[in-house]
Amino acid sequence: MSEETVTATFDVYRFEPGKDAAPRYDRYVLDLPPHTPVLTALLKVRAEIDPSLTLRYSCRSAICGSCAMQINSKSRLACEAAIGPELERDGRIVIEPMRNQPVLRDLVVDQESFWRNYSKIEPHLILDPRHPMPEGRENPMTPEEVDRFKETPRCIACAACYSACPAVEADPAFPGPMALAKLFRFVVDPRDQAHQDRLVRIQTDGLWLCLRCHLCTEACPKDVRPSERIRDLKEMAIAAQGATEHGSRHAVGFKENIRERGQLNEMKLARQTFGPIGLLAQAPQGIRIWRKKPELLRAPHPIEGQDEVEKIYEALDNGKTKEDLP
Amino acid sequence: MKLAYYPGCVAQESGKELDMATRWVAKALGIELVSFPSFSCCGSGFLDEANEVLNIALNARNLAIAERAGLDLLTICSTCQGMLTLANVRLGDPKVKARVDGALRPLGIEYRGTTKVKHLLQVLTEDIGLDAIRAKVTRPLDGLKVGAFYGCHLLRPADEMGWESAEEPHSFEDLLSVLGASPVYYRGRVMCCGFPIQFVKPETASKIAGKQIVDAKAHGAEAMATPCPLCHISLDGYQNQAAKAVGHSLDMPVLHLPQVVGLALGASAEELGLQRHLVSTTPITDRLRARA
Repeated sequence: MSEETVTATFDVYRFEPGKDAAPRYDRYVLDLPPHTPVLTALLKVRAEIDPSLTLRYSCRSAICGSCAMQINSKSRLACEAAIGPELERDGRIVIEPMRNQPVLRDLVVDQESFWRNYSKIEPHLILDPRHPMPEGRENPMTPEEVDRFKETPRCIACAACYSACPAVEADPAFPGPMALAKLFRFVVDPRDQAHQDRLVRIQTDGLWLCLRCHLCTEACPKDVRPSERIRDLKEMAIAAQGATEHGSRHAVGFKENIRERGQLNEMKLARQTFGPIGLLAQAPQGIRIWRKKPELLRAPHPIEGQDEVEKIYEALDNGKTKEDLP
Repeated sequence: MKLAYYPGCVAQESGKELDMATRWVAKALGIELVSFPSFSCCGSGFLDEANEVLNIALNARNLAIAERAGLDLLTICSTCQGMLTLANVRLGDPKVKARVDGALRPLGIEYRGTTKVKHLLQVLTEDIGLDAIRAKVTRPLDGLKVGAFYGCHLLRPADEMGWESAEEPHSFEDLLSVLGASPVYYRGRVMCCGFPIQFVKPETASKIAGKQIVDAKAHGAEAMATPCPLCHISLDGYQNQAAKAVGHSLDMPVLHLPQVVGLALGASAEELGLQRHLVSTTPITDRLRARA
């Protein structure tokens, strides 16, 4: 029985640093059934057309996380992305290496910074030496305790989120979505005894550089939802240590600001976040904006029903986070 | 059509031109905007980081205000749209709903979850419709090359926003075409403007904003347009910093969504508050005037 096929055009990024002057795109045209995974197509290219095409893969079942690459500009697992929908949308399939990591050759990137950021969060249980585990005993968790991890144990470390993240791209101080989602997993682990230290440390180690753009949550093939766990970490970090950084001062300042009038007092918030000296450094930019937008310096009128807002604060702003710490 | 108008903090203060343009366009298209001086801030993504449940409860109160009036709620900011929609989604969790109800019930506030949250972009393209807008265009935008810049929270997380495709949105470009502009497609149109870390690390925020403007320009954009006043602050208010970050001048006029619509529908630059922008919009208005 013959299967229906489509003619698929692949434009594949090729580059060998040190040998090639610049990257190029090689075009391969294959007739394949529309459900063919991109990875299968690339392996066919390698087997039948160009054995020098270099890529990383292993399980072919979306478990190992090795074959993440950019497929029509989106970071995806090649073993999971079928060619049919890609062709339908874009007419061809552009294959490129993941972003935010230097290319070693063709589709293989150097994942050094990704793994360095991962090991930096100490992705293992930290136990207090003063309270060692009793010899020969297990340390079980209840199903409810396991639920605290949310979707984070699903992560296969494919780095699709790292590739999609604009904060990683712009600032090496940001550890990336995957490392932070993993950190969340250890912070809420009831067996871990370093959650307080972990939260204090991450406040200065890039937590507040997350842009909450949710591109990581969109890119993740396992629906780990890193951006939402990073939000959880921020709330827990404030609960653990208070507002010590610009980012946490801004979040807490914002909360206090809304409590006063129900809406934002822009100038006051800048004062709260930067402090008097920091604010001075912002003054030239502030004056530029103020000249066009004089409302910047005006405090808004309190909203009607400000008393309701105050009562909601009294009921729900009692220092407890939604994730009660273990 | 009649909607509960949720202008958000910025459009009532430093981004007042957005409110002016929205009111002008609403009037021109027969949208009745009902104001509620009791609306509080959406939390802007920052309050959410400090206390998620509090943020949800404050937005449940906002939604209940519109609900009591039997109206859907109109936002003109991607972040307001995101935060209010997220409140609707999170309140679907009975545990969250119980905590929020516990705070609202003593105040006599009931949240039932029947109010839809709609951004102006959605109302224009889906409810008013492109044909109705096309019929009202009196000053076509002369093929002006405009790069739409969506703003993260209008699109993502896609499964919670329930709006169009987060990866390949097209409503804004469809609208621009109807107005006589030529939409420019570039990768940055669905990326982040950098605003959320403007107060954390300004130089990184400016680098990110600069990158998107450079991308739009490289694809031929003569102007950018955004449905989010926070993106507008980043792309227009701080464009001088973005230019510093990328190492060259950018000179990219950035319009609010209703300003682009208003221009094509015949509003004057003053009516749309274009003089309030940091980056001059006169290259656009001069071009349209020369044509007329």
